[in-house]
Amino acid sequence: MSGPSGDRLIRVDMTNQTVNIEPFPDDWKLLGGRGLSAKILLAECDPECDPLGDGNVLVMAPGVLGGTAAPTSGRISIGGKSPLTNGIKEANAGGEPGQHLMKLGYRAIVVTGKPSDSEKTYGLDVTADGAEIVENAGAKMKTNYALIDYLAQSYSADASFISIGPAGELEMKGASVACTDQDARRPARHAARGGLGAVMGSKGLKYVSIEPGNAKARQPADKKAFTTLVKSYSKEYLAGPQMFKTGTSTIATVANMLNTFPYKNRTEGQSPDIQTLDGMNIIESFETRGGGMHNCLTGCIVQCSNIVHDADGNYKTSALEFETLTLLGSSCAIQSWEDVADLDRLCDEIGLDTIETGAAISIYMDAGKLDWGDAEGAKKLFDEILANSEVGSAIGNGADATGALTKHHRVPTVRGQALPAWDPRPLKATGLTYAAGPMGGDHTAGLIVNPGLPEEEWVQKSQEVQMVNAVCDSSGFCQFIQPTLDLIRQFYTALYGDEISREQIGEQAWQVLADEWEFNRRAGWTKDDPMPQCIKDDPIGPANLVWDVSQELVDRVYERPGAREELYTTPAAG
Amino acid sequence: MPRVKIPAPYRGPTQGRAAIDVVGGSVRACIEAVEAEYPGFAELVFDPSGELQSFVTLFINGEEIGRGEADTSVGADDEVEVLAAIAGG
Repeated sequence: MSGPSGDRLIRVDMTNQTVNIEPFPDDWKLLGGRGLSAKILLAECDPECDPLGDGNVLVMAPGVLGGTAAPTSGRISIGGKSPLTNGIKEANAGGEPGQHLMKLGYRAIVVTGKPSDSEKTYGLDVTADGAEIVENAGAKMKTNYALIDYLAQSYSADASFISIGPAGELEMKGASVACTDQDARRPARHAARGGLGAVMGSKGLKYVSIEPGNAKARQPADKKAFTTLVKSYSKEYLAGPQMFKTGTSTIATVANMLNTFPYKNRTEGQSPDIQTLDGMNIIESFETRGGGMHNCLTGCIVQCSNIVHDADGNYKTSALEFETLTLLGSSCAIQSWEDVADLDRLCDEIGLDTIETGAAISIYMDAGKLDWGDAEGAKKLFDEILANSEVGSAIGNGADATGALTKHHRVPTVRGQALPAWDPRPLKATGLTYAAGPMGGDHTAGLIVNPGLPEEEWVQKSQEVQMVNAVCDSSGFCQFIQPTLDLIRQFYTALYGDEISREQIGEQAWQVLADEWEFNRRAGWTKDDPMPQCIKDDPIGPANLVWDVSQELVDRVYERPGAREELYTTPAAG
Repeated sequence: MPRVKIPAPYRGPTQGRAAIDVVGGSVRACIEAVEAEYPGFAELVFDPSGELQSFVTLFINGEEIGRGEADTSVGADDEVEVLAAIAGG
């Protein structure tokens, strides 16, 4: 009853061009994804380092349950010091690399240093036998889709890839890290937030290839209990309403009703274009154009990822999400979901976060540099980004950089990172996640869509969802399968055969946040409410909602709450 | 009295209340009874033509009812649950 054993850690030193494979510490066996990344970064990365210098550490870590039969559990976390927030950052993605790494027994890839020749382009080849840095001049400045087509010539049809686009190579702070999906090997799944693609680019690392070979699923210590859990959890999920069966794009309508579908750079909470931006248009397009819903990683039963085709029936992009429809659509007053699909593809090709880029273009429009709703003008900005012109550089570097270039006053960022669609004015508990959480303005760290939540519940609800999400993002589970701490600890118990108590999983949850807060404290973050002035001043909705939450409540988020039943039964939500 | 369970995203109109006992003989009547007490709720459940919003699912005593079955009868001890698909991005 020992569970998976013989796990390894890949250490990549880009300065000296060396790779070392180390045994993965046994006492870290319940650390994965975000929690593992935080542990490594706190120990090995100087929080005061230049995020794009040789002192930053880039961690790629699948979750604890990756590579097993647990449903929808193969996500991979990318971690490092963010060039946007100057704090610790974790962004995770679906796709196949997380599953492949775990089946091979690699719990993380830790990349340090940077090459002496910044003009050279490198890949990292990972196989069952080890890993090797390879120079690959032909990969330089390729867009993500072109890169995967190019790499397909040299790797097996089973290989998966982690990559950056030109934005990452240009070290733009809005750059994402792409992972290929499980069916068509498209670089469509992005660890997008926080600019970690720029960190990867600063290390000269264009891609990681993972050849799974004959790697098999990881075997749990208690196979019977694990299998029972897999079956019962899957059955329960599939018998339920399957809230994400049409993806996230179809929630735009209700988000609009709740005043959290920001319009024109967040000067309004609702868009008059909701009918043409509603994701149901995408669902309806499947009938005539093809495309549809699919799972982005093997073993996923949620299948929330849409595949969007154009009017001629050709593949356009995947997945077109609610956040993208909001920031690149409504926030820019762009009316057509099809234009947003074009912009989404451009972001995926160049390797940019659609939230950060959408916010930047919104600011550019709000500053009068481009007409509201000018979709073609917005698309042309991507030529500027590729050319690394002054305007393109600003957009690629995100909302703050665009605000600085245009000298515009309305810049809705928290700690340098653009706010997501979920607006802190109607959603105060979510706002506390942004204000005090270690990830800054990132809804995936703890989303609470409950506009009627009493004020006395805001702090504890934010803390609880942050804790649940921290463990979820360490487990490999997708937040959309909505696991609870109770469920995750049951899976961990069956995986390693050691009983994991509520106290232990609660401790792990708080420890992830504590590690991240400590990193940020050393990096210079303070506890002062970082919510931008425009969110405090500009009212939205009929109730004229603003961010008016006290510093006292922000401070209380940092104080460990007493454990209550809800901590263990609240589903992850991001 | 039938009880209507309110999903978290819809508790703005209901001023934070998670469950409300109402007088009503059908699911729709129960929703309308909540609306009468807490204006702004029903539009989150039904569109202007009276059809169920695409992102909403209705349950009676834990059993999902079909999209066109909002006029299903309910009894005094029944529980109507409104589920709204809201999260993520």
